[in-house]
Amino acid sequence: MNKLDLLRLARQNLWRRKMRTFLTVLGVLIGTTSIVVMLSLGIGLGEEQRKSMEQWGSLTMIEVNRGMVFDEKGEPVGEAKELNDEAVEEIKEIPGVTVVSPAYNLHGEARMGRKEGGLQLVGLAPELMDQLEFKASEGRLLQGGDRNVLVVGQRVIDNFWDESERRAMARGMRGPGRREEKDPSEMMEQRIALTVHNNNNYEKKRKFNFTVVGILEGEYGQHSWQAYAPLEDLQRIRKFMLEGAKSRSDDGNFSQGGVMTGGTVRVERVGRSRSNSRDTDNYDYLLVRTAGIEHTSQVSEVLRDKGYNSWSMADNLEGFEKTSRTIQAVLGGIGAITLLVAAIGITNTMIMSIYERTKEIGVMKVIGAAFSDIYSLFLTEAGMIGFLGGVFGLGLSYGASHLINHLVRNYISGGMPMEEVVNISLIPPWLALFALVFSILIGVVAGLYPAHRAVRLSPIKAIRNE
Amino acid sequence: MASLIEIKGLTKKYRLGQEVITALDNVDLTIEEGEFLCILGTSGSGKSTLLHVIAGLELATKGEVLLKGVSITKMKERKMATFRRKHMGFIFQSYNLLSSLTAIENVALPLVFDRVNKKERLKRSREMLIQMGLKDRLRNKPTEMSGGQQQRVSIARALINNPKIIFADEPTGNLDSKTTQEIMEILSEKVRNSGVTMIMVTHDLNLAEYADRVIKMIDGRITSIVPNKKVG
Repeated sequence: MNKLDLLRLARQNLWRRKMRTFLTVLGVLIGTTSIVVMLSLGIGLGEEQRKSMEQWGSLTMIEVNRGMVFDEKGEPVGEAKELNDEAVEEIKEIPGVTVVSPAYNLHGEARMGRKEGGLQLVGLAPELMDQLEFKASEGRLLQGGDRNVLVVGQRVIDNFWDESERRAMARGMRGPGRREEKDPSEMMEQRIALTVHNNNNYEKKRKFNFTVVGILEGEYGQHSWQAYAPLEDLQRIRKFMLEGAKSRSDDGNFSQGGVMTGGTVRVERVGRSRSNSRDTDNYDYLLVRTAGIEHTSQVSEVLRDKGYNSWSMADNLEGFEKTSRTIQAVLGGIGAITLLVAAIGITNTMIMSIYERTKEIGVMKVIGAAFSDIYSLFLTEAGMIGFLGGVFGLGLSYGASHLINHLVRNYISGGMPMEEVVNISLIPPWLALFALVFSILIGVVAGLYPAHRAVRLSPIKAIRNE
Repeated sequence: MASLIEIKGLTKKYRLGQEVITALDNVDLTIEEGEFLCILGTSGSGKSTLLHVIAGLELATKGEVLLKGVSITKMKERKMATFRRKHMGFIFQSYNLLSSLTAIENVALPLVFDRVNKKERLKRSREMLIQMGLKDRLRNKPTEMSGGQQQRVSIARALINNPKIIFADEPTGNLDSKTTQEIMEILSEKVRNSGVTMIMVTHDLNLAEYADRVIKMIDGRITSIVPNKKVG
């Protein structure tokens, strides 16, 4: 029998018993829907978790800080390795690392037009900025050869106030730190003057001018509070800050002056003590970019083993992913049980169908149907039931998924429009494909036993069966 | 005439509860090519069992059936299915048409298993049904046809493969005498004109007159072989 005839005959046979076929298909439909929706919830939740984590920091970025290294219990275990050019080279060699940029970090008073405020300034290698997961929402990122320019985060503007705002704040009408609706684009092309004091002589201060050339994407996370400038500019500033008589113990805290308000995400390293002359040439931290999320925690591990103080958002991800896998397994298991019941339904239907069609099977055998013909016919019928259940189940799943997302969104936001679209249920293409293939497979497997019985039927006994 | 089928010492026993029943008891028989053979006997005489064993639908307990020197009794069931499809046609008392299929689809069914393409097999089936005088019944389901019409469809189905042997098991058992005559005319004419070999099983003495040779069976044994339409 050729494939087309097989399909045609199988369809005819199913169509003959519409109600029974419909009910069996319904079983598979419910099974498929439950497994797809359950899995989609697991996937959606995991994806939401990941997205919300990404808002707070990229999952392919690692920060290597100086200072103390702590063990898992939070006990200090010693000084971290120094962050100099050697360290940069060493870290570049770690497999999975694509970019390493040294970075400085300082804080100063700043002025932009009539507004005054504080600036959290980070210096990094300008030519590497576009490889470090920064994206500009306006203007551009830093480039090689840049001098005296800034790229600022979206929230940097929140640290600048004009005279009236300052007065209002003093009257307590607006608390500092409370997020004001200020437009970050306001800073674009603006000139910002940063004032820093010499660490050894507070009276000595100098102004450094910058022009804003770009605004970063992202309203959350530490990027949004920081301004970025070329590394060499910061080296210049540091040189001024550290010049003069060698201080005694805490000259590392060159950035104490001019802190006006909150918004400082980075905690300043206070109280560095040893070997200042060398330390001043060291970087404050290193930004490490990995080849992908899957490398990040691994690279983090290697860094810690080498004695660096590394931190990454992805360190937390592993635990989250484990949880989300568990949730997926549990939800998928519930769906799988439903589908198993559906499979038993198919087997039952096919066995009943054999009883009904005993004579017919006998006739087909007598007039020359091969074993394989009978076998394929029953498997095809069972597979078709699975396929139909799969297709309609998938359709229903998309509907259910949509409805769940809609309800959850309304529930979370209380009917208010939300900035971010939350999809608690997510059906990726692979899941849809998997559902289809799996439902057909379930049908075929459920049809194996009935098909075997049909083939074994003695044609003469079958024909005598009136 | 050359001998087509040789049956040697064929025995078939089966168990029915505690009892062992001997359906065929050491049967020897030779069937010639192009012959119309009638096996006559009461129910339980073993006539149907003989037909089934010759057709390879039932296994023999002992003995051998040779078809042109090839042993059918030793043939594997899978191979036998192909063999039946290529060389044998069957006609039953209860027609055994598939009720979900139309007349033309029923006739075409053996060709479906033979992987003949749709256009070709429908064309052949239509011609065959027209030969059977069922021009107006091509698209009818079996339930929409009379017994005689259904049996003519089943004859068309048996002939569609141009088989060498046709097995007919009480082909007129469910038909009235007028229709019986019609059907028997068709069958005997087919044997005369196409050289096909026909083996018919019946308990109806009147049908025996259409046959070239009649064998009588009682209790699994052949008791007489009567050639030339002289049946006693």
